[in-house]
Amino acid sequence: MDTLGLLLQGFGVALQPVNLMWALVGSVLGTAIGILPGIGPALTIALLLPVTTALAPTSAFIMFAGILYGAMYGGSTTSILLNTPGEAGSMMTALEGNKMARAGRGAAALATAAIGSFVAGTFATLALTFAAPFVAELAFYFKPTDYFAITALAFCSVAVVMGASRTRGFISLFLGIAIGVIGIDAMTGQPRLTFGNMQLLRGIALTVVLVSLFAVGEILYVASRYRSVPGVMAPVKGKLWMTREDFARSWKPWLRGTAIGFPMGALPGSGSEIPTMLSYTLERKLSKHPEQFGKGAIEGVAGPEATNNAAAAGILVPLLTLGLPTSATAAVLLAAFQNYGLQPGPFLFTSNPALIWGLIASLYVGNVMLLVLNLPLVGIWVQLLRIPRPQLYAGILVFAMIGVWGLAGSWVDLAIMFVVGLAGYVMRVYDFPIAPVLIGLILGPMAENQLRTALAAGQGNPMVLVSTPLSAILLTIAVLLLALPIFLKRLRAHA
Amino acid sequence: MSNNGNPTPNTLEGGSHQAAPAPSRPYWIGIGLMVIGAVWLVNAYGLPQGARYAAVGPGLFVTISGAALLVLGAVLVLQIWRGESFQPQDAEDAVADAKMDKRAFLTALVAVAVPVATMGPLGMPFTATLSFVLVANAFGSRRWWLDLICGAILACASWFLFSQLGLQLGRFFPPLGF
Repeated sequence: MDTLGLLLQGFGVALQPVNLMWALVGSVLGTAIGILPGIGPALTIALLLPVTTALAPTSAFIMFAGILYGAMYGGSTTSILLNTPGEAGSMMTALEGNKMARAGRGAAALATAAIGSFVAGTFATLALTFAAPFVAELAFYFKPTDYFAITALAFCSVAVVMGASRTRGFISLFLGIAIGVIGIDAMTGQPRLTFGNMQLLRGIALTVVLVSLFAVGEILYVASRYRSVPGVMAPVKGKLWMTREDFARSWKPWLRGTAIGFPMGALPGSGSEIPTMLSYTLERKLSKHPEQFGKGAIEGVAGPEATNNAAAAGILVPLLTLGLPTSATAAVLLAAFQNYGLQPGPFLFTSNPALIWGLIASLYVGNVMLLVLNLPLVGIWVQLLRIPRPQLYAGILVFAMIGVWGLAGSWVDLAIMFVVGLAGYVMRVYDFPIAPVLIGLILGPMAENQLRTALAAGQGNPMVLVSTPLSAILLTIAVLLLALPIFLKRLRAHA
Repeated sequence: MSNNGNPTPNTLEGGSHQAAPAPSRPYWIGIGLMVIGAVWLVNAYGLPQGARYAAVGPGLFVTISGAALLVLGAVLVLQIWRGESFQPQDAEDAVADAKMDKRAFLTALVAVAVPVATMGPLGMPFTATLSFVLVANAFGSRRWWLDLICGAILACASWFLFSQLGLQLGRFFPPLGF
């Protein structure tokens, strides 16, 4: 069946009343967490992982997708009105958006952000619709050596690109890999690093590490440096709709943002920070009003916001087609698939088309819901910011401990939450990137498995790792990623 | 509201220099990483590095991660010695370059530690309420009785809701046997 036929079938699944309801729940939750501080899409999905025991997989993933997209919409609201970007991808939006809000054009800034998110979300989902089956088709031919090369490249790019320095990026990555080897070795049944503790035999769950690093680490960090005086919120002023000129200045940045965000979101490690910065710089260069940048240029909101949403769709391509997570949120989504005993990858497209295509179709539906939720109702959403911070952070800890305790009812998990949470605090104080820990934790065992399978097939000959053209190219790129900055630095020093 | 968000730098520590956001030479992080790396390497020593059919055994990745952390820890120590700077990350509701509020931090830390001891014997609703009150206090709330009520309602409601969803959260209050 062709892609359009499969997509139509997907709409048949996504438009079922029960799935529509879950899409709405996800969109509402996503928008709310995008606005609230301290929680992001990765943490929310991790805390909701227990619902996988009660929900059908299609419904659960439709809700998770709503959360992923919704968080991108909600993040722009606080950036524009409060100048507090909740996540890295909203930093550029805050730069121009808050200036617009202070100049009495908050409504136009919110509108270009919401419509830009809708345009980018829809076009990026369209790209996902056609790119994903193509990549999945290719992935059928991938061998374990290719998969090992892909994970090796993902490791290098994540560690090099994320964070303040390569050393700190690699430290985070190897901490994740080191946590990932704890527990019974899947291939030989040998216990590793369990220190005689029976409960460590099953390894350390991704949820425990994620909840501890993101929620507990954040609570400890914010408590230690709490800004008890709340930020000044700019009122939503101006016409609720954009003017003709606003539209004329926004539509090109929306499309350019989509073109930048989607492919970069699919690459490991680029996250949403780099593409949004790229979009901002590009818009400033191309704008007919460069003098307005830094004072409230609408292009500076439209471009990065579109980029941000397109990148969120981009991460789904490697996740669904190769089972490769490129961001923290994607890593949690992979864990959700594993909870159902499903492995994303080319075989999922043939074995469970209703799930994959229902999920993709729900992204279109979710985008429409989010536009409706965000454009006219923004005044209601900002009321969420009135929740007092002490009770909000206390509530986040309650949900974090429920998520950890509910996994296995084990005090060992709670002790790990304490230790890893403390580590999360230290990482924030000394600026170590957090996402590489999760990528290392989830991709480490995958890389190990593929490496051992590839070497077993090649009877132990390490040359098997570069025996296919793809693996050779990918490993070369990985080495270049590591070596190039050092080489360039030396070249500059000699110049 | 507490007064811990005061942006004026407090230079009790730090001598005549400007108030640094973090100690400038955190050698202990590098050393800590080297210790973790060493523990992993020692454990890897007891594991087979090779296997009969595959060239790689269960010890290889333990060795790689241990060795990498050992080397990276040493590199970090060297970088710190050469004057590497560490800038705290930005977060909503936090002032990155503010001085650390030790009382608030320790109160929140106790809130995270409490569940290890009380979750099993006293149950999830009691533990969650206690942690709720402690975190709210760390964030400057002084109306503990209100936090107690809010925390208890949230803890009981989520215990009930998540138990209904099929999550095993244990008994409501084990000392009383229900």
